[in-house]
Amino acid sequence: MDVIGQGVKEGILLILSLDPELIQVTLLSLQVSLSALLVSGLLGIPAGTFLALKDFAGRKLILNIIYTLMGLPPVLAGLIVFLVLSNRGPLGEWQLLFTPSAMVIAQVLLGFPLVAGLSARAVMSQRQEAYDTAVMLGATRTIAILSIIREARMGIIAALTTALGRLIAEVGAVMMVGGNIQGKTRVLTTSIVLETRMGHDSRALGIGIILLILAFIIMLLILKLEKRSFKDDSTIQII
Amino acid sequence: MTVLFKLSNITKSYGERQVLNAKALEIRAGNIHCLLGPNGSGKTTLLRIMSLLTPNDGGHLEVLGEAVNWQPSQLLRLRRQMAMVTQSSFMFEGSVYYNVAYGLRARKTPKKEIQQRVQESLELLGMSDFIDAPARYLSGGETQKVAIARALAVRPRVLFLDEPTSNIDPSSSLEIEQYIKHINQEYTTTIVLITHNFFQARRLAQHTSLLWEGHIIEEGPTRDMFHNPQDPRTRRFLKGEY
Ligand SMILES: Nc1ncnc2c1ncn2[C@@H]1O[C@H](COP(=O)(O)OP(=O)(O)O)[C@@H](O)[C@H]1O
Ligand SMILES: [Mg+2]
Repeated sequence: MDVIGQGVKEGILLILSLDPELIQVTLLSLQVSLSALLVSGLLGIPAGTFLALKDFAGRKLILNIIYTLMGLPPVLAGLIVFLVLSNRGPLGEWQLLFTPSAMVIAQVLLGFPLVAGLSARAVMSQRQEAYDTAVMLGATRTIAILSIIREARMGIIAALTTALGRLIAEVGAVMMVGGNIQGKTRVLTTSIVLETRMGHDSRALGIGIILLILAFIIMLLILKLEKRSFKDDSTIQII
Repeated sequence: MTVLFKLSNITKSYGERQVLNAKALEIRAGNIHCLLGPNGSGKTTLLRIMSLLTPNDGGHLEVLGEAVNWQPSQLLRLRRQMAMVTQSSFMFEGSVYYNVAYGLRARKTPKKEIQQRVQESLELLGMSDFIDAPARYLSGGETQKVAIARALAVRPRVLFLDEPTSNIDPSSSLEIEQYIKHINQEYTTTIVLITHNFFQARRLAQHTSLLWEGHIIEEGPTRDMFHNPQDPRTRRFLKGEY
């Protein structure tokens, strides 16, 4: 109990102290996870939409693989990227291991299936009528597909939210391929592991609080975005 | 009079079951042409083939003077001369304005003109007050009127109506029938109207084709069909025994 109280106090002090190292770690966390989210979204939304709308041989199989990878353990994603980027790996000469780029790649491996799978579900839940209505109003096929994506945007935003939550909080992948190097690849989650190992329990908890606040702020921003695009949508009333 | 749709031996099957076998059908410009028939007789299937939403299996299909080849460029060109309203019309998430402007935006109409035409169309259907309302919250009758305004905004040569009044109350239904008549007369829009209600066919259509288990069993001027039905099944249908 004392540890927790101490941790909360230290966390607040840590934030107030504007410790330069901690700021750097926080910014790197954001940079890595937001970059990974951006790449996951740019690849995952089109991929999910394609899988939802286009029938071809192997579609079911690919969808099932993606659904399975939605639960990929971060440490396993880290291991795969580690093996590919290590000196003996196929992309060893790129020299990316233990850089933020490697961390982004590993997180894309986690984020992409989540965004693609959930986007596919969101698009699949749209009805044939949406497409028919669009083309009967003179929309090209492309415009009609964009309209379906627009109808599915609530689900797609949820996909992005879920992915970001997973990425900002994961430790296995960034630890594996980043190596938790001070000033270079250390992020909030790996800091917590390190501080705990060194016996700095309350400092670890303090960083945890920063992580929590960060996650909270991001979710607020996303919720705001969601509200903006749904100003004419209300909740279900249960009386 | 120009023939807008010419169908011969159009067939469609789902799995083993043939749901449509239309030997011959012509829709002439300027008419309200009714496709009448009991539920499941293939009316919607026929309409979806004419509106190029569902490809037919066999037969020959001519739409607005062109033999249909199902190429995307042809589909777009032909569909831009049509519009459709179904029995519970789909509304895009957004305002009534967003929905009614949809077809005009797709045609890259200038913004000023879009505004003007949306207002005109809504006014015609008595729905001006709803312009900023969220389209998903309209009642059944209001939704259908907005759907008709949305179809009308693109000034189609052909308007397909698939049971436009089946899900709404009788008084709204009669109101919408007045609009349908008005659109046909004032804009010389050809209307293909699906209904299973033969009173509606009699009130609106100059020409009627009766579908029965995928076949067109009788066709001609609506008045003749009601006064002097040729096929015994038509007589049964008109007596309400189907
Ligand atoms: N996509 C489909 N798959 C399988 N059967 C269908 C499909 N669409 C229509 N049918 C069948 O075709 C028959 C005709 O349907 P439809 O054209 O909708 O009739 P109507 O509009 O006259 O009520 C019905 O028996 C219906 O079950
Ligand atoms: Mg039908």
